[in-house]
Amino acid sequence: MAKVEEKRGTLGKGELKDVLREMLLIRRFEEKVEERFRAGELPGFLHVAIGQEACAVGVCRALEDGDVISSTHRAHAHTLAKGTHPNELMAELYGKTEGCSHGYGGSMHLYDVQHGNMGANAVIGGGLPHVTGAALAFQMRGEPRVAVAFFGDGATNIGTFHEALNLAQLWTVPAVFVLEDNKWAESTPEKQHSPIRDLSERAKAFGMKAVKADGQDVEAVFKTTRQALEHARSGKGPVFVHLDTVRFSGHYIGDPQVYRRKDEAKELRATRDPIEILRGRIGVTDDELGELDTEVIEIVDASVDFAKNGTDPAPEDALKNIYA
Amino acid sequence: MATEVKLPRLGQGMESGTIVKWLKAEGEAVQKGEPLYELDTDKVTQEVEAEATGVLLRIAVNEGEVPVGETIAFIGNEGEDAPASAEKPAEAPKREPEREAGRAAAAEVAREQPAPSSATTNGRIKASPLARRIARERGIELASLRGTGPDGRIVAEDVERAQVDASSAPPAAAPVRTGGEVESRPLSNVRKTIARRLTEAWTVPAFQLTVDVDMTRTQELVQKQRELNPDVRITVTDVLTKVCAQALIRHRDMNVQFTGDALLAFPNANVGIAVAAPQGLVVPVVKNAEQLTIAQIAQVRGDLVGRARDNKLKADDLEGGTFTISNLGMYDVDVFTAVLNPPQASILAVGQTRDMVVPRDGDVLVLPIMTMTITCDHRAVDGATGAEFLHTIKAFLQDPGLAL
Amino acid sequence: MPELTYREAVRDALATAMRDDDDVFIMGEDIAEMGGSMGVTQGMLAEFGPERVRNTPISEMALAGTAIGAAMQGMRPVAEIMYEDFMTLAAEQVVNQAAKVRYMSGGQITVPVVFRTQGGAGWSPGAQHAQQLEAWFVHIPGLKVVFASTPEDVRGLLWSSIYDDNPVVFFEHRTLYPIKGNVPPKNAAGQIEPIPIGVARVHREGEDVTVIATGRLVHESLKAAEEAEQRGVSVEVVDPRTLQPLDEETLVNSVKKTNRAVIAHEAVTRMGFGAEVTSVLQYQAFDWLDAPIERVGAKFAPLPFAPVMEQFVVPHAEDVLQAILRTVGKNGN
Repeated sequence: MAKVEEKRGTLGKGELKDVLREMLLIRRFEEKVEERFRAGELPGFLHVAIGQEACAVGVCRALEDGDVISSTHRAHAHTLAKGTHPNELMAELYGKTEGCSHGYGGSMHLYDVQHGNMGANAVIGGGLPHVTGAALAFQMRGEPRVAVAFFGDGATNIGTFHEALNLAQLWTVPAVFVLEDNKWAESTPEKQHSPIRDLSERAKAFGMKAVKADGQDVEAVFKTTRQALEHARSGKGPVFVHLDTVRFSGHYIGDPQVYRRKDEAKELRATRDPIEILRGRIGVTDDELGELDTEVIEIVDASVDFAKNGTDPAPEDALKNIYA
Repeated sequence: MATEVKLPRLGQGMESGTIVKWLKAEGEAVQKGEPLYELDTDKVTQEVEAEATGVLLRIAVNEGEVPVGETIAFIGNEGEDAPASAEKPAEAPKREPEREAGRAAAAEVAREQPAPSSATTNGRIKASPLARRIARERGIELASLRGTGPDGRIVAEDVERAQVDASSAPPAAAPVRTGGEVESRPLSNVRKTIARRLTEAWTVPAFQLTVDVDMTRTQELVQKQRELNPDVRITVTDVLTKVCAQALIRHRDMNVQFTGDALLAFPNANVGIAVAAPQGLVVPVVKNAEQLTIAQIAQVRGDLVGRARDNKLKADDLEGGTFTISNLGMYDVDVFTAVLNPPQASILAVGQTRDMVVPRDGDVLVLPIMTMTITCDHRAVDGATGAEFLHTIKAFLQDPGLAL
Repeated sequence: MPELTYREAVRDALATAMRDDDDVFIMGEDIAEMGGSMGVTQGMLAEFGPERVRNTPISEMALAGTAIGAAMQGMRPVAEIMYEDFMTLAAEQVVNQAAKVRYMSGGQITVPVVFRTQGGAGWSPGAQHAQQLEAWFVHIPGLKVVFASTPEDVRGLLWSSIYDDNPVVFFEHRTLYPIKGNVPPKNAAGQIEPIPIGVARVHREGEDVTVIATGRLVHESLKAAEEAEQRGVSVEVVDPRTLQPLDEETLVNSVKKTNRAVIAHEAVTRMGFGAEVTSVLQYQAFDWLDAPIERVGAKFAPLPFAPVMEQFVVPHAEDVLQAILRTVGKNGN
């Protein structure tokens, strides 16, 4: 996955096919994860980000080298988009030492320091203050780096959200807070968890600049993120990026979504699939899409083989890495 | 090729589900993503979608509880044959072997954990709080006790036992307070075993033969052996063991066991040595004694007796004996008769070596004499056989070169 | 040797580290102009400026979490949690995040953060401003826990904690802030001699009983030891100083020498830190114990407000003395 080097505000034509491929890779990776979980091969519990690919890819493509992210329990898309190889991600889901967290973390604790991934967090909002802290460190050291947090609409209710955003704005740190608003906090619809309809108001309550974009339109996500990063990086303070997105699957793999209208997911797939939207816009034919699909499926299958042939940690490894 | 429809894992920790109702019939067309059947899990009843497009060829499980991974149906092309039964049986939960491995490793760590060691106690007596209390209550000096607990710790049982021995203890022990109630002491397993086996032995028709042995040459031999092997503590018992082993090989008819319908004859002399251990009488075995030198026998015996006294003998140490030597010489006993050690055919009881006045060739000599008595199982061994055997032992002791 | 109060000693460690190293900075509530609710950081704003002496809003999760985030990026922040009771608010970040990030990342990240806090009874602070919660944090793998009781120890150990690459929960005791003590002079480069984390200190040698004490109770135990001496009982007083990792060797060797142990802390006795130490001693010195191990701590109640009740609940020198006498089989009079 090519890292964007030049500083410009929008995705170039040449890149868009690559972006499409990247989103497709994430889509097929997540589908494969679902399949392998149902076959009983993956321990623990997992949350896939099917439908939210444009948020991960659009934001991560906009980052510069040295920028860091923190993620949520729904972390696979962010992790891949930030540069972790599918092999290492799949190996981690299989609990192998070749995994990015060497088998210690699993789906909700994916870390890849080399690629600027400061960790997925199983505690809702748990990573938000870390982003404020990382941004503070960049500011104190005079580094032109930005710390970016991903979180969902559910997280906007928890204490760390308010405390972290308040402090970030107060100290004008170079942070960007990306809300992937898919309107569901596990099984609770937004109307049931928030008394206000526009969650951007919460950021504005701290005096923070808040911008919106359609989370299914990867070009819009990219452009908005570039602007937000520019603002933060220049010392003007943190930015709240509110992305309107859709969760096609349940909260966790196996979630029967008894709480959701049966046809809702179907309708959303038909009208708001980020892959279809980009594909339509740049005019990719069925055959061309088929070719891309074959390519990415091969990579995903290879990652499963890599993981399955990986090394199990020794039982005693459980007692390592507790202290530095 | 037909696709097997297997029961999926739909949640963390899900190991099985109950099929409630099929939403498609055999022979009906199915689209990938269409609801195929209703499943009841711990949490909820839900529809499960088909993962392939085609015709539902066969429903293998109509309803009821099914483990995750089991084949419940087949989807394929129209007219295709569905296998009569699943090709592979339902597999065990996939990550279970790893969980097993983790548990096994943890169990190993638990097994290998040593009890805390009190290797050096700087002269402090190791005794459990309970042992101390009992000793205190009964006025028993801990210093006079031998500990059988871990690392030689004195435990309650040791103090209890000391009470029993107190009456026959040498005057050096602290005075025992007498008076009080009659105590009932439950039998330990060792004591129960001894009781059972010796009662059994007592019912065997046995006879005893006694001889006196001039130990002059044997004593010289022991001296020489000690000089040659300064690192090993060589005793008369070691020479006796070697001599008896050699004798047993020469008198195969003695190296037997009676089993009711046959006599078992053994090719090697496995000589048992009776040891008075704190937990009771035990007989560890010096295996293949005829193949060992006296020094080697001393080493093996030393290890066995040491472990016997620390109550650390293993079952293997106590099995396979073909003959037993019981030596009460260190207790100043001159002569005694031992009870058979079943199923062995004989046992040799040996007393102390003491100077006696012996007439020889018209002269009166003072010689070191040891009296030994053999007890034999008359069902396995006749008097003459026993006598010849005993004679050989005596001859070997009086002239060790004959044993070569 | 120079003399400092415990409070000055804490400040000295912080300031010296900050002079030495740009990566060290402090944050907390009211630590800037006011110099901290306990006056620990007085004068530091003037010397280091608002960039490195940061007041935070009343938001313990952000306070702890931001420090963690900065530490993950290689800085060495020292976060002050104003009262030990508020560690309960910061606990999600301390326990779920700081303690576990290194582990969950498979060793990729270190979190060299220090959480400084103070607690303790005296002057009726009330139930929510006086707790001693070390037992909660010694129970969490991944954290180190330090509790010093003298100016020399608090300065040397805070310095070591700042430079330890692991998250450290650093407890101070409020009634100790004004006590004076000698501290070793700094070295030629102006740095503080570190006291290693994980090493206990024997304050007083004795033959008959070992008293293992922390925080305020170290001083109460020394008083009790003096009194016991008058009654012919020779008492050894040991301060573990670091609660996690615990210097088991020193404690066990002491008890092997004296054969009797008393553990004294201000925290509630039941299910406290003393219970763990008792277990360690029982296991490793089983054959050396001549008496049951005694524990001295607060009675099982929230801390009352009225002075008469407050003083009833918390332990004092007299409680330590009585425990000492029980172990040698004498009833106190």
